[in-house]
Amino acid sequence: MTPRVVVGRAEDFPPGDRRIVNAGGKAGIGVFNVGGAYYALRNICPHNGAPLCKGLIGPHVQSDGPGRFSYGREGEILKCPWHEWEFEIRSGRAVVVEGLRVKTYRVMVEDGDVVLYL
Amino acid sequence: MVTVANGAQRTHNRDQHIPIIDCDVHHAFRSPKDLLPYLPRQYMERVRDLGLGMPNNSYGILSHGATRLDLWGDEKVPPTANRDQMRHELLDRYDIDYAILNCSALGGTSAHPDADYGMAICRAFNDYQLEHWCAADPRFRCSLLVASSDIRAAVAEVRRVGSHPAVVQVLMTGGAKFLFGKRYYDPLWEACCEVGIQGAVHPSAEGAGTNPAPTAAGYPSYYLEMRQVWAQIAQAQVTSLVCEGTFEKFPGFRFTFLEHDTYWIPGLMWRLDADWKGLRTKYPWIKKLPSQYIRENIRFGSQPINEPPDEEDHEALLRWMHADECLMFASDYPHWDWDEPSTTFAMLDPRLRRRIFSETAVETYRPKLSLPVPRHL
Repeated sequence: MTPRVVVGRAEDFPPGDRRIVNAGGKAGIGVFNVGGAYYALRNICPHNGAPLCKGLIGPHVQSDGPGRFSYGREGEILKCPWHEWEFEIRSGRAVVVEGLRVKTYRVMVEDGDVVLYL
Repeated sequence: MVTVANGAQRTHNRDQHIPIIDCDVHHAFRSPKDLLPYLPRQYMERVRDLGLGMPNNSYGILSHGATRLDLWGDEKVPPTANRDQMRHELLDRYDIDYAILNCSALGGTSAHPDADYGMAICRAFNDYQLEHWCAADPRFRCSLLVASSDIRAAVAEVRRVGSHPAVVQVLMTGGAKFLFGKRYYDPLWEACCEVGIQGAVHPSAEGAGTNPAPTAAGYPSYYLEMRQVWAQIAQAQVTSLVCEGTFEKFPGFRFTFLEHDTYWIPGLMWRLDADWKGLRTKYPWIKKLPSQYIRENIRFGSQPINEPPDEEDHEALLRWMHADECLMFASDYPHWDWDEPSTTFAMLDPRLRRRIFSETAVETYRPKLSLPVPRHL
């Protein structure tokens, strides 16, 4: 059976929150609530080993021309605290580096508990 | 095998007994008020009420002062001002033998219209850093700040504090009114040689205050652009130092370019050498191949490390730039774009890593740096 870690109660873990769980290795695993669903990423940036899950959670930033900014997909993008590389929290995929991703884990809600499967 | 993990500590370097000298670490005071005890009376009131008022080039757009997010705790102390965190997170964690502290945040002192005031801030910071940083840990070394707007005052400062055992070099700003080879600076390099310290430059104050625009065609708009300008400025400065015969006048003087990139070094060496062969008679004081001066007298901090697609390309680039002679490891802790010591250059031949991580720095900065680290200054 896959090892499982109970992260906490779902009612204490609202959208936008994150926790870093001491599991799956020394660096730990970051668990995120994005829009009511839970996702988990290994807390090691595939670029240079930074504690990725301590980074900035924010929108996907795009532009339709010089000097113009548009913000979508709020809360879905994690930027590494070191070199600020962007990762989709849901998939672990790097936004601008093709083929690069961080390891993801399954998170389920079971009887009101947020459960991380290693 | 390097474990690329958060907190990967002391892997290759410890196992292979390669000491680490980190040539670019950033420190600062927590508040301008920290300098008050070191300031002369005429400036105390304005610093207390207005802060330092140093010119700034406004390209800094990253939150958290361009530092690593993960270093900010609940107390919200800037990582540059958090001395004990730096000792733990950098020196201890990575088994660093020496860290050279460079306060690039005060680059505006050379660009302030009031040269006396700029120099007073430099003196105050120099006293502050020796007391609060260098005295706290035998692994810290530091760079002297001077205001290049008053060369005589800068010379006096080098003579005042340059002999301190923790001082390794004078720190110049990226923004400057004259290229560093100009004779205007000769008294400063001469004073450095007298007291036995070297010179270095770090990006700061380009286009700020009384400094000229960062490029010959004016001001870039964005921080992303400005980061590329540093390489251009450095090429102009390296060329100036070589062509004006600075290292014929001061053969023992070493000048280090920190955070000015390194990818351009081979091209400049080849181009300058080729041009010199035909133009030498116009500038006969340039007695050696320009690349020879670069290899002997100029040094480069390794951060930000180049990221070509292949490791082979990276090794070729290092060979082309004679990295074994002129490249010194720099982490740029605690900035966001730092190079983590245990993974940087991890794939390189250990002999080259030993040159980059320690030997070249020891040769450049001795006797102020020696291995093993003495217990006390």
